[in-house]
Amino acid sequence: MNMYSRLRGWLVSPSVIVALCICVALFTVFQFSLRAYIPGSLDVGGFTLANFTGLGKSIYRDALWNTLILSIETMVFSLLLAYPLAYALVRVRNRALKSVILITAITPLFLGEIVRTYSWIIALGSNGFINSMLRKLGLVEFPVDMMFTHFGVLVALVHVTIPVVVLMLAAAIAHIDRDYEKAAQSLGAGPIRIFLTVTLPLSMPGILASSTTAFAWTFSAFATPQMIGGGRVPTISTLIYQLGFSSMNFPLAASLSIVGLALTAVSLWVFGKLTARFKHIGGH
Amino acid sequence: MIRKIVTTGLVLGMLFAGAARAEDALVVSTWGGNFRDLIDKYIGQEFTKETGVPVKYITGGTMDRLNKAKLATTPESDITFTTSQVGMLYANSNLFEKLDTSKIPNYAHVVPQARISPYQIGSWAYLYTIAYRPDLVPKSITFDSWSDLWNPALKGKVAVPDWDPSHVIAVSAMLSGGDAGSWQKGEAKLKALKPNLKAFYTNDANSEQLISTGETPVQVMLSMNAYYMIGQGSNIKLVIPKEGAILGVDTMSLMKGSTKADLAYKFMNIALSSAAQAKIVAAEKTSPVVDDASVDPKDAALPGVLTTRDQWNKEAIVIPDKLRAEKMAEWRKWFTENIMN
Repeated sequence: MNMYSRLRGWLVSPSVIVALCICVALFTVFQFSLRAYIPGSLDVGGFTLANFTGLGKSIYRDALWNTLILSIETMVFSLLLAYPLAYALVRVRNRALKSVILITAITPLFLGEIVRTYSWIIALGSNGFINSMLRKLGLVEFPVDMMFTHFGVLVALVHVTIPVVVLMLAAAIAHIDRDYEKAAQSLGAGPIRIFLTVTLPLSMPGILASSTTAFAWTFSAFATPQMIGGGRVPTISTLIYQLGFSSMNFPLAASLSIVGLALTAVSLWVFGKLTARFKHIGGH
Repeated sequence: MIRKIVTTGLVLGMLFAGAARAEDALVVSTWGGNFRDLIDKYIGQEFTKETGVPVKYITGGTMDRLNKAKLATTPESDITFTTSQVGMLYANSNLFEKLDTSKIPNYAHVVPQARISPYQIGSWAYLYTIAYRPDLVPKSITFDSWSDLWNPALKGKVAVPDWDPSHVIAVSAMLSGGDAGSWQKGEAKLKALKPNLKAFYTNDANSEQLISTGETPVQVMLSMNAYYMIGQGSNIKLVIPKEGAILGVDTMSLMKGSTKADLAYKFMNIALSSAAQAKIVAAEKTSPVVDDASVDPKDAALPGVLTTRDQWNKEAIVIPDKLRAEKMAEWRKWFTENIMN
């Protein structure tokens, strides 16, 4: 047995331990979801399916639907806005300009979700920056409702997600061999055709990876929907907090978590199936 | 070489000395920010002056600290400050020690509404009532009654807390001829309030931001927060409707398993002293929980500062803490399903 084989066990063991811990945590959540809530107590009662049977109400269906739609919308808009930034970040030759793009794209990451969300509360408010500009320009007479709306939550989520998508896309674009593009150019392809037939397909691994990340990241988003949504845009995370943790109703919180987890798994599986034919593109 | 050993020894000694000192400290669990500062300034520092024992604070949200206390095998603090109804959850989980009030001489002055349970004593009180921006609300609305919240002129202008709907639930029930115990009587009334509700604020800071930006110019707000905003120059008016306002009492308790019970009782006694209570009222515009606090007449005249037995009886709507602790999950579920969406 060579050294690598001997070391492999030691290298794999920590990941096995972490995976086991995650499985134990998930099992704990699952068993909580099957226990009865005792009002006024932190302890839980006996076996029951009531936590799941009660989830048929419209509030829970709406929360699941909102979460799914917000995740898809955030994924799509983040991708559309982040790709040009990532492309410019990689391909711009001017170092000063490259630094400006990097700082603009990545700095929000350092502020944290809460600070950025509070900033959006000020920007989106009835007397906030956006409404003030719209009224000064005479485009609207009365403030446009953006706070406590699906639109407001989406804008803030996209802003929070873009830096991560930019980083992942930039890494993928940076790995594209420029010779392919030069070959296409030498054969007479214009810049747009080169982009659509060479660059974009070769960046597909990055697009898929960043899309999946943006989707999963948004699915579990809490602070932004909670604060910008103001209770008006229910998502799975905000419901788990409101009905579970703040009320100490851990069984209900656990059942919502299990349903959310199942929906995430199904969504990612469907996404994987839909994008399976794109996975081989970009391999070189 | 010897210099390195000596230096290392000195550094380690200082570290361990710090740790040993922390071990001797009385540990108090509380909310962070101005609550921690308030406890330290008016109680903790006096306690250290009298006993020579330092006070160490561990801070966090109400529910976060409860979760941690439930999971801990030994108590992380000696004293816990929390809300009266959440304190019931601590007590029901056997996390609090039954208090020996004979060791707290100032307990004799505690008003009845602040004698929460054998495990909790009120530390200060406040009211959840109506706060509004007079510049953003029709002049004809002065909130003489809770029913003014339902005025159609307030469509899309009102915010209430999302973590505790007990205030509006109790008020709706009261306006419908019931009370918190028969809260279902107020269901229709509360549903009728929906058009006026714009948002459900998530925490005190969110509440303050929404009213200061004018996003929700009318709120069911914690009186301490309203006075804080007024002190910062915000144009906010706080009113106590004729029916009264929902009483909130923050409490202190001795953690089960604490090895510093005698020191904890000393701390609590200082908290209930007339001097400490008067200073807390002056700083935060709370209501003193003792009947012998020397409150400045200007503060006593403020809406929501209860200093006489008559005020406590007439202006404070009390939701029994046991009921609140037992019903909270049910109320939140109903409120989320029927009002927030």
